[in-house]
Amino acid sequence: MTIAQPASSFDADDTAPLLRATDVSRFYGDRVGCAGVTFDLWPGEVLGVVGESGSGKSTLLRCLAGLDPPTGGRIVFEVPAGPVDIYSLSEQDRRRLMRTAWGIVHQNPRDGLRMDITAGGNVGERLMDRGDRHYGRIRAAASDWLGRVEIDPARIDDRPRDFSGGMQQRLQIARVLVSEPRLVFMDEPTGGLDVSVQAKLLDLLRVLVRDLGLAAVIVTHDLAVARLLTDRLMVMKDGAVIESGLTDQVLDDPQAAYTQLLTSAVLTV
Amino acid sequence: MSTMTTMINVDGISKAFTLHNQGGVRLPVFTDVSFKVEAGEALVLAGPSGIGKSSLLRLLYGNYRPTAGRIEINHSGRLLDIVSATPRRVLEVRRRTLGFVSQFLRVIPRVSTIDIVRDPLLARGVDGATATKRASDILARLNLPERLWQLAPATFSGGEQQRVNIARSFVEPAPILLIDEPTASLDTANRDVVVELIAEARKQGSTIVGIFHDDAVRARVATRHLAMSDFKSS
Repeated sequence: MTIAQPASSFDADDTAPLLRATDVSRFYGDRVGCAGVTFDLWPGEVLGVVGESGSGKSTLLRCLAGLDPPTGGRIVFEVPAGPVDIYSLSEQDRRRLMRTAWGIVHQNPRDGLRMDITAGGNVGERLMDRGDRHYGRIRAAASDWLGRVEIDPARIDDRPRDFSGGMQQRLQIARVLVSEPRLVFMDEPTGGLDVSVQAKLLDLLRVLVRDLGLAAVIVTHDLAVARLLTDRLMVMKDGAVIESGLTDQVLDDPQAAYTQLLTSAVLTV
Repeated sequence: MSTMTTMINVDGISKAFTLHNQGGVRLPVFTDVSFKVEAGEALVLAGPSGIGKSSLLRLLYGNYRPTAGRIEINHSGRLLDIVSATPRRVLEVRRRTLGFVSQFLRVIPRVSTIDIVRDPLLARGVDGATATKRASDILARLNLPERLWQLAPATFSGGEQQRVNIARSFVEPAPILLIDEPTASLDTANRDVVVELIAEARKQGSTIVGIFHDDAVRARVATRHLAMSDFKSS
């Protein structure tokens, strides 16, 4: 299944895609995680992946983000030197790319944070990974980022375990964005949060994505989140992409039976 | 105007909805609709409700997908078929060429009214101070009390939200403005402001396609009517 569309004469294109997924599949023995997923993502674009639990969206995200090699297909990332197949890199080079060129926001902040070091340390560590060694500058950047994700910079020396769930999630986002990635992967970024905290986080993400010109792949089962944050949408079922297009098109004029079922099952409040 | 410039070329579009989860029932809206809109026109879609006026407007915006046909939009001087264009291209056409003024404001949590209205100006590179000035001017013209400007519109009345939406759409009118019932819940004074804003947008070069239920508004805005009943699916 592909979402690549026939290029019209207008798409003799200016820029190269940032991420190119071609026929990506991941099998676990006989079981299909995801199968035949193809798409291009350009700088500044936000792609949503929706579908119910078990549809393969998190499996796909793990393949794309370099965490889990696909069984088949290619994932090509554009770096200044040109496109690279991320799984043709050595483990070490891939890890370096993951720390600098892209970021991963996990559903559970505990998977993305180090709970035993301070908030400032969590943010600053990413700058040190990048080779920054100037303590004052690292601390200033960490403090600035805490403010941007609406955590009082006075809490810079507190540990994440003393933060609420919403604050932990915002801290994780600061930790990811401080290294100025071009691409961010997010797995249910508002998943475990109260609705009021969710709205705040969503707005924060929307503004950051727009101001930083980030590209993002966001996995969510929440169509309201998809509508607010994403430009394009892929709908997954049983490991395959069954419909894709502009987010408002897919949600307002769904073509596939399954997408119609998903959109009609949403409660309007 | 010496030579005509086609802004929209609708070529043989049909639209039907297939409801897969309700026994696969197929609801045809219209078949084989073709028309053109030239630069500077204000085309009003006419016909009784349920005939597909809003669906047609959504098709022109790329929000609905036609069952068949082409919809060419004049984007920076070239006609581009938005039915076959990539999502990325459609987004670019919306950013620079197509504006959609709906009846409803899609409320973004926590964003203040003034920022909602400033946003399209900032997106087009207008500096912050000028954007604030122009956003304030248009909100004042639409009689939205200044005490509301710093608040997010989630708690506003329907008419207030609609005026925020109109301010956002007309603060920097797009070359093609698609307008769906902009005056539905407005009083006479504000209705007049909307009619003025439409006239000013046209003077600045915008082409209009719209739906207006209010007869007086329709008469003042329209340069031409498109009778949708001629297209009704058999």
